Amino acid sequence: MGIIALGAAVAVLTGAGAGIGIGLATAKATESIARQPEAKGDIRTALLLGCALAEATAIYGFVIALLIILSLGSK
Amino acid sequence: MAEELMEQLDNHTAFTIPVFGGIPVPDSCVVTWIIIAVLVLLSIILTRKLKKVPTGSQCILEAFMDFLDNFFTGILGPKGKKYVPILETFIIYIGFANIIGVFGFVPPTKDINVTAALAGMAIILVQASFIIEKGPVKWLKSFLNPINLLDLVTRPLSLCMRLFGNVLGAFVVMELIKHLIPGGVPVIASGYFDLFDGLLQAYVFAFLTSLYMAEALEEEEKHEKKAKKRVQLHGGK
Repeated sequence: MGIIALGAAVAVLTGAGAGIGIGLATAKATESIARQPEAKGDIRTALLLGCALAEATAIYGFVIALLIILSLGSK
Repeated sequence: MAEELMEQLDNHTAFTIPVFGGIPVPDSCVVTWIIIAVLVLLSIILTRKLKKVPTGSQCILEAFMDFLDNFFTGILGPKGKKYVPILETFIIYIGFANIIGVFGFVPPTKDINVTAALAGMAIILVQASFIIEKGPVKWLKSFLNPINLLDLVTRPLSLCMRLFGNVLGAFVVMELIKHLIPGGVPVIASGYFDLFDGLLQAYVFAFLTSLYMAEALEEEEKHEKKAKKRVQLHGGK
C-alpha cells in the first residue's frame, strides 16, 4: 500500500501547475482590467475559460490518483 | 475510516426493476427524478400567473432568464438563438444536480456515468448544430483536418472528467471535514464546495459547450469573408 499511496501523491502534484496557471491568468486579468475597466465583462469571460482549462489539469491529477488507489489499492 | 470513505464513493443501487432479470436503478437516477419533479413543479408554479408588468417572483425569474438568454446569445450570436434553450437546460440541471448535496442527497454528477452522458449529449449537440447549419458535406469535409477528429474525443472526455472530478473532489473534501470537525465548520465549507463550486462548474460546462458550438457555427464565415476579401483585392489589381 505504501508505494501505491506514494504514486497517488505524485499524481496529485499536478495541482502545482494548475495553481501557477490560474495565478498567472488572474494576474494578467487584473492588470488588463486596471488598464481598460470598460472591457471588464469580456476579460471576465476569458479569465473564467482560462481558469476552467487550467484547473482541469489539477482535476485530472486527482482523478488519476483516485484511480490508482481504487484499482491498485484493492488488490 | 478509509473504508468508510471508499464506501461513500461507490454508486449505490437504489432499487431493482424486476423485469428482464432485474434492471438496477442507481441512486443518481432516483435523485435525477427528484430534480426533474422539483424543476417541473417550479416551472408550473412560477409561470402560472404571468403579468405584463412583473411583480414579486416573476421579477426574479425574468431577470434570471434574461441573464441566461443574453449570456448564450452573446456567445452564439443571433444565428444560434434556437440552440439557447437546450444550453439553459444544461446549466439549470447541472446547477441543481451539483447543489443538491446541500439538502442531503447524493449529487447525481458524482456518478461518472451521468457526467459521461451529459458530455456525450453536449458533443452530439455541437456536431448536430454543425450539420444543421452547414450541411453534412461540410461536416464530413471538416474532418480533413485531423485535429477536428481528435476534438471529437478530447472535448467530451475533458467535459466529463472536469465535472466528475470537481464534484467528486468537493464530495471527498466535505466528507473529510465532516469527519474531522463535525460541528459548525462543515456549514461554511459547504457554502464554498457545494454552492459556489457546484454553480461555477455548471456555468463552465454550459459555457464551454456554447463556445464549441460558436466555433462550429461561425468558423466558416470568417474564412468566407477572408476569401471574399482576397477576391476583391485581386479583382482590384
